[in-house]
Amino acid sequence: MFTFAEALNMSVLAKGIMMGFGMLGPAIGIGLIGSSFMNAVGRNPEASKYLGQILVIIAIVELMALLVFASVFIIK
Amino acid sequence: MSSQFLTRFAIDPVIHITPLELFKINGIAITNSMLYGVICAILTVTILIITARRMTLRPKGGLIQIVELGTDFITNLLKSALDSEEKAVKYAPYFVSIFFFILFSNWLGLLPGVGEAFRIHEAPLARPFTADLNGTLAAATVTWLLVQYFAIKESGVLNHLKHYFNGSMKNPITLLLGIFEMFSDTTRIASLALRLFLNVAIGEIIIAVFSALGGLAAPITALPFTILELLVGALQAYIFVMLSIMYLAVAVKHADHGEHESDHLTVKELVEAEVGGKSTN
Repeated sequence: MFTFAEALNMSVLAKGIMMGFGMLGPAIGIGLIGSSFMNAVGRNPEASKYLGQILVIIAIVELMALLVFASVFIIK
Repeated sequence: MSSQFLTRFAIDPVIHITPLELFKINGIAITNSMLYGVICAILTVTILIITARRMTLRPKGGLIQIVELGTDFITNLLKSALDSEEKAVKYAPYFVSIFFFILFSNWLGLLPGVGEAFRIHEAPLARPFTADLNGTLAAATVTWLLVQYFAIKESGVLNHLKHYFNGSMKNPITLLLGIFEMFSDTTRIASLALRLFLNVAIGEIIIAVFSALGGLAAPITALPFTILELLVGALQAYIFVMLSIMYLAVAVKHADHGEHESDHLTVKELVEAEVGGKSTN
């Protein structure tokens, strides 16, 4: 007689849920940054000079996704 | 059938998050990332000194032009952040050298042979310096301390402490928020260090995973990610320097309050330009 948790291999499930939901937020965030940048450039083409700042802000958001990826290795 | 042939040679990827000890000098453990960091630092200093010796009005040779391009780029960033060419030239040496050091560490870490290829006692001989949290933490701490030092030198200790507190000091909320601001200032060390470390280390992991998945076709499967890592390495060096320049700019700019009038003027000009642009559209 084995329990449900033993048959399910919880660690793989946990890694999948962690990657999926953890990457969800940063993905939405980077998408929003990109869309508003393209909006701004479309309205005012001179705004394209702010690409450097956009990359910095993307890096700030991306840190959350990287933390999720690093935390996956904790789950045994 | 063909996929079976390819995956027959697949091995489990070897992933090290932590640096491993190679040997000891006077009881101090020398890790593989320390060794490679020293190599990168010597290379950076050598290249920068050679370039500085051969500085002419019209640069000759590819290497000198590339170094000049990077130096000019960082100096322009400083100039636009600090609104002063004199200050930009004054602070450029540190930021340019940390930029080139991080860039070389990231890029030289992608060379074949760095990583699992050569080993001493199960430990890989070389490991990119920026793929080690100790290394990036040290770089971020030095950068943060220098930014504080520059800001204090620019505006004095009292003014520098005052820029954390916005508003009247008699208000207890100002005091509380200012102390919170001071603590959140120190978290910049962690965020700078973690961003650089995780980007480079995860790049190494992704390359290891995809070359292991590829089996015989490892050169083809790992190549796109290696090229991506070239981009990420340059981008992370830029972002590290850009963020520290922004911290410096925030700390220095709050000091002089005389600039507010000119700030208002530029905002007004911007609004006028915006309105003018809309009417033409």
